[in-house]
Amino acid sequence: MASQSVWKWCVGMRMSLGHSSSYYYNSSRCSSPSSPSSLFLKASRPASPLRITRRGTMRWRQGYTYTTTSNKVVENWKGKEYLELTDQELMKQCEMDTFKASGPGGQHRNKRESAVRIKHLPTGLIAQAVEDRSQHMNRASALARLRTVLALRVRNNVDLEDYSPPPELLRILPLKSTVRPSDTGPQIGHNNPKFRFGLQALLDLIFAVEGSVSEAAKFLGLSTGALSRLILSDDSLRKTVNELRASKGMKPLK
Amino acid sequence: MRLSFTSACCPSNFSIFTKPSLCTNLHRTVCSSSLSSLPTSLKPQVPLFLRPPVHSATVPDLRNWHDWAKNLASSVGTRFQDSDNGPDSSLLSRELKWLMEDAIEDHSVFSQLGIGNNQTNVRLKAGIEELYNLWKQRIEERRPFQYVVGCEHWRDLVLSVQEGVLIPRPETEHIVDLVADVVSDDEGLREGLWADLGTGSGALAIAIGRILGSCGTVIATDLSPIALSAAAFNVRRYGLQDAIELRQGSWFEPLKDVEGKLAGIVSNPPYIPSDNIPGLQAEVGRHEPRLALDGGLSGMDYLFHICNGAASMLKPGGFFIFETNGEQQCKCLVKYLGNDMRGSFRSLDIVSDFAGIQRFVTGFRQ
Repeated sequence: MASQSVWKWCVGMRMSLGHSSSYYYNSSRCSSPSSPSSLFLKASRPASPLRITRRGTMRWRQGYTYTTTSNKVVENWKGKEYLELTDQELMKQCEMDTFKASGPGGQHRNKRESAVRIKHLPTGLIAQAVEDRSQHMNRASALARLRTVLALRVRNNVDLEDYSPPPELLRILPLKSTVRPSDTGPQIGHNNPKFRFGLQALLDLIFAVEGSVSEAAKFLGLSTGALSRLILSDDSLRKTVNELRASKGMKPLK
Repeated sequence: MRLSFTSACCPSNFSIFTKPSLCTNLHRTVCSSSLSSLPTSLKPQVPLFLRPPVHSATVPDLRNWHDWAKNLASSVGTRFQDSDNGPDSSLLSRELKWLMEDAIEDHSVFSQLGIGNNQTNVRLKAGIEELYNLWKQRIEERRPFQYVVGCEHWRDLVLSVQEGVLIPRPETEHIVDLVADVVSDDEGLREGLWADLGTGSGALAIAIGRILGSCGTVIATDLSPIALSAAAFNVRRYGLQDAIELRQGSWFEPLKDVEGKLAGIVSNPPYIPSDNIPGLQAEVGRHEPRLALDGGLSGMDYLFHICNGAASMLKPGGFFIFETNGEQQCKCLVKYLGNDMRGSFRSLDIVSDFAGIQRFVTGFRQ
């Protein structure tokens, strides 16, 4: 527990170009670095469009409801409800701040520090964006990222006894799935905003089966290999599944 | 869109303004010359990203330029930041990337810059010598990046700007959100007539023109013909000629025909106290129009003037929002509106910007 109170994990952002999509872990409390750049300890993560800052403990933060002893999810954290909110409704649940400007700002300044960070108050999840050229567009990017983070981090209750994949999950499954009705339409890829809903539902299932891809594959009418490929096709999905598996002492998917 | 250049310099008929001590300041010094340099000769500069890609360079030549530019940016370190809170190397590097985005037609070239000796030609919107010049101006003269590329990304808009036109600030974006909130549940305001005073590049007028209803219109005024020509270019680019009318003149002067009819007034007037001007960041102080920055001794000359005018220009229930220099000006203005102008306005409020600085004063006409 000691480490939980000492470490503050967050993914920092890099201003330098060409690195804007890497993960950086910021161990802001563990040492007193001499230069700002040394605040960032680069972790070996795949490039991903996602930048998350989580202020919490090393444990999964509250709202992350899997436990190590049971596959029963104890609380429903309304994950899907959050994703269904409009941008405006979602923004109302958020606190937005930017990298604090020094000086009086406004007409005094021309620095294009348009970085935006938004914190989703009900869950404490944070997303940020820096690479766009306007404040407004960075806010839109940060909000889109927040939706992905919510899909990745907030779990919904899954009843395995009586499980059938929800429609949003069926839509991201490959056509060969035996539980996928033929009228589901084409498979949605991870560039489609609706992919998040499927991703969230898929993670709900995988957490319910404690990270077992073969177990989850059975519920989805897929071979273990086919589900693995689906998971590996999306960086943030793979990362989340592998973190879960690591916490259960399972090998990562490769 | 109608560009009506009504007389800007008729210091008579100031009866509607109730603060006599300010009258001497109301007409900014340039106004006497503004009529001589009228519109047609003023051709707005086309931003780099909109120019045709008629130039070219080989990949190695472009890479040489990029490496040179990157080094120049790195050599700045924190020098500008230390001297006047200007940009540091990392911000300049970001700007360099944006310059390339605007100058290079085919963005897939970016990935080739690091590799090989590809002799194919890259299509450019400015010649390679011009790119050297532009970046030199950026670093050595501290010419604002937005003037270098001729545009600023503001909200979801890309607005043409050039010397003589204030570069719209990110803080000002929030005015649009606040107006959107106000018009969302008030049809009278949504379909009404709005004014943007001192429109500059037209940023506020365009953004508000896009959120008003089909009958809603904006009249945007500015004293500066250069600003108006840039605004006209931007209005046309967003196809808002029917929703936005540009008028030349000082503050409310070109609006006498709509007195008492305005549903809303927005403005980001000059609010920097005169004695702060010499210490401004070089990009701002040396290159941006003083006309759009200098708010007189306290910085509040034009804010007071606009507040006085708002009382007679707004219709009952009309909304106003003005940007200020910060907490002190906000409080002073609210006090003025609430005490000296008692009975004119209701629901006076101060709203903070994204950095938590009290920035905007809002209210409604009684």
